[in-house]
Amino acid sequence: MASALAGIRVIDISTSASGAWCSRMLSGFGADVVMLEGPAGHPMRHEAPFDSSGESIPGAYFLAGKRSAVFDLHADGAAGRLLALSEQSPVVVSSLRQHEWEALGLQPSQLGQGNAVVVHITPYGMTGERAALPGNELTVAALSGWAALNGESARAPLRPVAHQVAMCTGTLAAAAVVGAVIERERSGERGQEIDIAELDAMVSAGSPNVLRGQYTGRSTPRRDGVDITTGPVPVADGHFALTISRAHFWRDAMNVLGLDDLAEDPRWETSWYRQAHREEYAGRVSDAMRQWSKADLFEELAARRVVAGPVLTMDELSTNPHLAERGFWTELDGVTQPGAPFKLSATPWVLPSRPRPNAATRDPAG
Amino acid sequence: MTGPLTCMRGIVLTQAWAGSYCTELLAFMGADIIQVEVRKRPDSWRGTYDAPLAERLRQVETAREAWNCNYLYNSVNLNKRCLTLDLQTEDGAATYRRLLPLTDFVVENFSPRVLGNLGFSYEQMAAVRPGVILCSLSAYGHDGPWANIPGIGGTIEPTSGLSALLGYPGGPPMNSGMMYPDAVAGLNAFAAIMAAIRHRNRTGEGQYIDLSMQEANLSFAGEAALEFLRTGRQRERMGNRHPQFAPHGIYRCAGEDKWIAIASESDAQWTRLITALGSPAALSESRFETKALRKENEDALDAAIEGATRTENCEELAARLCSAQVPAAAVHDGIEVARDPALHERGVIAPVRHPEAGEWIQAVIPWRYSGIQNPPVRPAPRLGQHSAEVLAELLGMREEEYERLVAAGISGEGPPD
Repeated sequence: MASALAGIRVIDISTSASGAWCSRMLSGFGADVVMLEGPAGHPMRHEAPFDSSGESIPGAYFLAGKRSAVFDLHADGAAGRLLALSEQSPVVVSSLRQHEWEALGLQPSQLGQGNAVVVHITPYGMTGERAALPGNELTVAALSGWAALNGESARAPLRPVAHQVAMCTGTLAAAAVVGAVIERERSGERGQEIDIAELDAMVSAGSPNVLRGQYTGRSTPRRDGVDITTGPVPVADGHFALTISRAHFWRDAMNVLGLDDLAEDPRWETSWYRQAHREEYAGRVSDAMRQWSKADLFEELAARRVVAGPVLTMDELSTNPHLAERGFWTELDGVTQPGAPFKLSATPWVLPSRPRPNAATRDPAG
Repeated sequence: MTGPLTCMRGIVLTQAWAGSYCTELLAFMGADIIQVEVRKRPDSWRGTYDAPLAERLRQVETAREAWNCNYLYNSVNLNKRCLTLDLQTEDGAATYRRLLPLTDFVVENFSPRVLGNLGFSYEQMAAVRPGVILCSLSAYGHDGPWANIPGIGGTIEPTSGLSALLGYPGGPPMNSGMMYPDAVAGLNAFAAIMAAIRHRNRTGEGQYIDLSMQEANLSFAGEAALEFLRTGRQRERMGNRHPQFAPHGIYRCAGEDKWIAIASESDAQWTRLITALGSPAALSESRFETKALRKENEDALDAAIEGATRTENCEELAARLCSAQVPAAAVHDGIEVARDPALHERGVIAPVRHPEAGEWIQAVIPWRYSGIQNPPVRPAPRLGQHSAEVLAELLGMREEEYERLVAAGISGEGPPD
């Protein structure tokens, strides 16, 4: 089977989750990714939680599908050796800030003798007043508007779970790298640098929130509590989300729940009216939903093509018949893992089998 | 146009967020993106024809049609042209068939059976346009027992495992406040289409991309999935906490709904943090001395941190902590994001003048190439704004023919007559 990035070699010198996700995406597209790790290993190898063998689970997930080599970027002569390595690699993934490049005595534009695509993935970008500030998933969630939207109004705003900032940013960066590869192949011109900031990526991913406040003059509030219009509510065996946008979703869902008066009243057909008067029905709908199990309610609503979703745990997802039939779960080096985020018919996204990445090997230029 | 996709054209048969965001990013790459909509049933993110204008737009003289002034639509459809075309009519389908040979990729988010029923399955499109790339964004993918179950961000979040992870420690599962799974699906579709374009450029081969929103989002919850597969543990909801480090939270500051995010990942950062907070006695207790102790006593630690932050101005404290190299940031809402001078300086937000809604700050192109100039940013199109232009430019359609389509409600501008 062909690969979308056949013939592309990537050196990943990043130490961040964003950089690791970017190179993982590129690996799945078929690039040959060599991860250069310091003597202590990639920082994600040391990130909890760990499995019973002591291996980092985030590390195992983010670093999969890559070749690994020990390379001390801060050792004497490292800059020269990195330059030499980059001559065979048209793409370099980095999380170094500008001052860190300067400390290495290296300009990124020198890599690959000027022919490399160098993607800089940093919390706040390579330029601007925040460029040198410390940042992470939490601070990016705060500054991007994400946290202010999430959680309950009386409690602290919430950051997104796990490494969502890294994944959004890494995916965006991988696409931007492919764009630079396309441009180089199209124009025959030399390599270039790409500046990707985690904060910029999350502002982009939340772009409706930026405009909403200006059009309405109000910030989007966090939720007041459990409410069917904002997310999952309790059902008999867990939680369930009923997200009603169209008139027939409302009508059919209310009929299933036995709330015929709500189903028949034409006032409730309009989305904006329902939003404005939700206190008139939300409690009744939640009470009716409590009588149902997740599976039964999902089945009944799905049969009527009403958008709805049970809150599924990883246990339930790992045995979910739909995902099994789709072949979502995959075996990599003898371990079951989440598989491709999408299916490409001609160039499937698939991580190559590699030795477990905690088996870092020798310095490739040493 | 500038960008890696200059001279490429995409047709968008999607509505709402995921597909629209994905193709906005492709437009930012320089592609000519034609958003196809239907007059009798506009994009759900335009809202319904009877919806009111947003509050502040009521003072904007040019803002008249709510469907052209919806913040949702206008935020994720920059740099596109809008063509109305009803594919369910014979003439509409015939017109679309004439556009296909001029198209490099198509993005759609119909239910799985719809496109085939219209005569535009991938195989049928590829017969008209060899090498075409078709990306289908659907709730659960195009095969499998759930293929025909509808879903949107608010229901994919729970069925992908993300809602089970989001929430306060010990609290119920939550959805994000922003239909986040759409953004995830859009970003993944963007990357997949870029990769498919690179393959096509080299080989001439097109392909079909089947993107299940559930799977794209489950891959983003993948480390928790892997944790379950390896250990049998369902990861608990952690709020703002980190599995290893403490403090790692969002703390109340002076003022109404003012908060600051603070993290400390090492003993050195901890020392700098408490110094920058003025070395309060509550933080100097022995139970907070080491990284392990801080994690062990996290409830007390968070209370002590908040005791120190709640009288502080969040912006001033964030600046003080950052200058001490402690990761910290004030929590900004959407209005504050639009005012952020550093984001303006980066160019990731910028004023965009919409012909009806007026000029507002929007999130624009989120990358910078050193060797490619980003294209100028154009506002989201009005409904059918480019119908006549696109059909004349691409198909050489004469005015009489276009007017016949308009009269039949197949194309044109705005709501049906």
